Amino acid sequence: MHKRRMLICATMAVFAFSGKVSAEEVFKIGSSVGLTGYAAVVDRAWRDGLAVAAEALNEKGGLLGKKIQVITEDNHSQPQDAVVGYRKMISSDEVMLFNSGCVSAGNFAAASFVMQAKLPMYLCSILPQRENEQVWAFSFLAPPKFEIESRYRYLKEKTGIRKIGLLYDPTPYALMMKGLGEELAKDFGLEIVAQETYKADDADMTVQIGRINAAGGGAVVKIGQGGSTVTAAKNIKQLGLDKMLLLSSNDDGSIFSQAGEVLGDRFLFVAPPVQLPKQLQPGPSKDAVDAFLKYWKPKYPDRDPANSARAWDSMMVLAKAVEIASSTEGKAIRDATEKVPAYTGAYATFNFSDKQHVGITENPFLIGKFANGELVIAE
Amino acid sequence: MTSHATISIEPAGIRWQAMLPVVAVVVVAGFGLLSSDYVVTVLGFAFIYTIFCTGLNFFMGYTGQASFGQSAFAAIGGYGSAILCADYGWEPLLALFATMALSGVAAVIVGFPTLRLRGHYLAMATFALGLIVYEVTIEWTGLTQGYMGYSGIPPLGIAGYELVTVKQQLVALVVLALFGVAVAARLRQSRFGRALASIAGSESAALALGVDIARYKLVAFVIAALYASAAGSLFAHFIGFISPEVFGVTMVVQSFAMLYLGGIGTMWGPTIGAIIVSVLPEALRGLKEMQDIGYTAILIFILIFAPRGLAGLSALFGRVRGRVKEAA
Amino acid sequence: MSAAGTTAASVPLLEARDISASYGHVQALKPTSLHIAEGELVTILGPNGAGKTTLMRALTRLTASMGSVFFRGEDISGLPTHKLARRGIVMVQEGRGLFPQMSVRENLIIGAYLHAAEAEAQMGTVFELFPRLRERIDQIAGSLSGGEQQMLAIGRALMAKPQLLMLDEPSLGLAPRVAFEILSTLSELNRRGIGILLVEQKAPLALKLARRVYVISLGKIVAELKTDEIKSYHDLARYYLH
Repeated sequence: MHKRRMLICATMAVFAFSGKVSAEEVFKIGSSVGLTGYAAVVDRAWRDGLAVAAEALNEKGGLLGKKIQVITEDNHSQPQDAVVGYRKMISSDEVMLFNSGCVSAGNFAAASFVMQAKLPMYLCSILPQRENEQVWAFSFLAPPKFEIESRYRYLKEKTGIRKIGLLYDPTPYALMMKGLGEELAKDFGLEIVAQETYKADDADMTVQIGRINAAGGGAVVKIGQGGSTVTAAKNIKQLGLDKMLLLSSNDDGSIFSQAGEVLGDRFLFVAPPVQLPKQLQPGPSKDAVDAFLKYWKPKYPDRDPANSARAWDSMMVLAKAVEIASSTEGKAIRDATEKVPAYTGAYATFNFSDKQHVGITENPFLIGKFANGELVIAE
Repeated sequence: MTSHATISIEPAGIRWQAMLPVVAVVVVAGFGLLSSDYVVTVLGFAFIYTIFCTGLNFFMGYTGQASFGQSAFAAIGGYGSAILCADYGWEPLLALFATMALSGVAAVIVGFPTLRLRGHYLAMATFALGLIVYEVTIEWTGLTQGYMGYSGIPPLGIAGYELVTVKQQLVALVVLALFGVAVAARLRQSRFGRALASIAGSESAALALGVDIARYKLVAFVIAALYASAAGSLFAHFIGFISPEVFGVTMVVQSFAMLYLGGIGTMWGPTIGAIIVSVLPEALRGLKEMQDIGYTAILIFILIFAPRGLAGLSALFGRVRGRVKEAA
Repeated sequence: MSAAGTTAASVPLLEARDISASYGHVQALKPTSLHIAEGELVTILGPNGAGKTTLMRALTRLTASMGSVFFRGEDISGLPTHKLARRGIVMVQEGRGLFPQMSVRENLIIGAYLHAAEAEAQMGTVFELFPRLRERIDQIAGSLSGGEQQMLAIGRALMAKPQLLMLDEPSLGLAPRVAFEILSTLSELNRRGIGILLVEQKAPLALKLARRVYVISLGKIVAELKTDEIKSYHDLARYYLH
């Protein structure tokens, strides 16, 4: 009996595996994203950004006349599932390029055979570690030092505060950023007087903030995302620290609004241009932001656009690369991506070259604050 | 040794059926070899999990104990093989055996104190073991490279000959999985296997009959660790990359689903469970966002109608057939 | 090591000195001494909750206990249960302790765990004593009747080739006729030289089988009686009614 069932399942699998669609006149992009699990927030944004960009590009006739079709496979934020999804997209869907989300382990796990298949990988995450894999991969993630530098520069240039405290969570990205924070402080004439850690679900951080204050810190540089930022803002208020600044990492706009409501202009945050569209000066950055929001806002009026804008930018870089290559073949696109001239997108400027596969080379971040019910650039 | 003619654990008349699952496994694998690398990858994972679950079945099925921490030994195997092969240029098979030995020693050291615990306490202690090793793989970045993961692990191979394609690797995995099941089957029908069964049946009765249950529990735990370690190593070679997430709680949940779906305590249950739990989500990929819901619904459905697992179902039918024969 | 002051001929099969056991703060078994001679059948009689089962578990170390136990003069106080089985002390627990998912055959084979080589011959002996088990050989133990289960429990213990067989209320829950049948088999085993320590609640049965009886009450042995000295059950009743 179980054998028969096994056969039925196997047969079902055959049909599922071999459900090929005609590949003519379509440019297939595979995307391995963690729609559930730890990467869900970013990767859902990534998926939707890709979809919006594909829609916009298809309206203009697609890539060299081929309609873009984005195939997404949920990897549940797990490398093993990512491997299966990547394999499926290579063998069954015969995608021509990958544009995947932020589950770095999943992208790394697949990198070796994606490379063997000679398919370029555009990534929301960091690059794989091995050099021969990096040849085929392009990262659209901002190096973590930029978030730190923006905040330090603001403190140096716009305030008299020279003693600061770091408040960080123990996730790897936050730890990396904290390390950079220690390293870079001197360059901006800042002294770190306290380093405090918290857990993402902590309901109270008065102890940590109290210690930073006691050590003479005039500002809390918070490294880490989520509701903990709002908690920190509330705690600063409760403690009556009416001079203390709170500088948050980049995050969802709703977090910024909530924390801003509590602390007013003593709450500052790191944001790419697309999160502060109202006051952008005319120029390529504003044009790119407007082009993206034209498609994004009608669909998702209440959603934060930051990560989707990054996905959008990656698709625009792809469009340029295909144009340069005059081909939709994987190797040609890979080579052409290195030749795309500096492209100013809605999130950042991307500057790929044969030596530079991490596209963001200039700090794209602005410092924002919350005023009169909206997010604005802090002067 | 006594003759098997008069005293045998298996009831008479089931022997010809014993080869059926082997044939089924070979057919499934053969089907995989004729399909794309995608199917091969899915089946490759299924057979790696077959090995993992066959080991776990020793401890949980045959011996009736609970372990939520077997992923710890898979992590030792996986990272051990990764480091020895990628950094020190070891032969994959040699690394596989070396890390199995290491896992075995670790299992003895950990098992000796924890196996005094029973039921939920043992479950909690082993769960903690899994979590500790998971944390170590994240935090000890000098050794494991933490969340960045370990890449550049060579594929399985023997004497310098690497199995470059996934299809070649699938063949190797099937052979190893069948070997693992055969060893388990052999052990299960030995005096050792009967001692484990007596522990699962009633610890005090087993004691009263002279079974040193503390020792046998430890041995079963070590065997499960050896299998888990081998599975971890094979995973590393199959993908060429590992990271802490691979050996996290998901692995435990996944292997439990396989064990209970296939039939815990049965010889072929782990294999059946591993194949179905691996293949089913792929068959349901067309459902997109509903995939997980469809998948879990089918799992629940199967468990309702075959509460002892799918392998238990076949035993049930075997018994009905036997009774019909008796009546005739 | 031989117990002081005894000659080889009179060394008891089993001797317990001041054995006691506690569950938490409750001393379920107060310091108690008893002995069983070679080839003897002794019954421990007592009401519910008197500590009979605790005494059995204390003797076989299934429950942690204090005091000394000697087997044929050898001090076995510190030995764990499974090592006692190696010396030939085998216990049939209350509720039989069968492996209910396994067949009769499998139960018996596991019983021969220590004597795998002689399993076949031993199984023959068991079937001779309990022909019913032969008929049920491939049946699942859990599906047997109460009497058959008790037969299997005793049969399985016999597979371990006991020198001393301890049984905890084998008549529990059985019809009187079946209980009698099973207890008669114990007499037969005793005649074949196996020492038997039997815990019973049913005085008539106990007295019929044994020549010597310990009466246990409130966690300690309150009397040691020869059955031929007991004139009527009233003699016993006073021990039950403290």
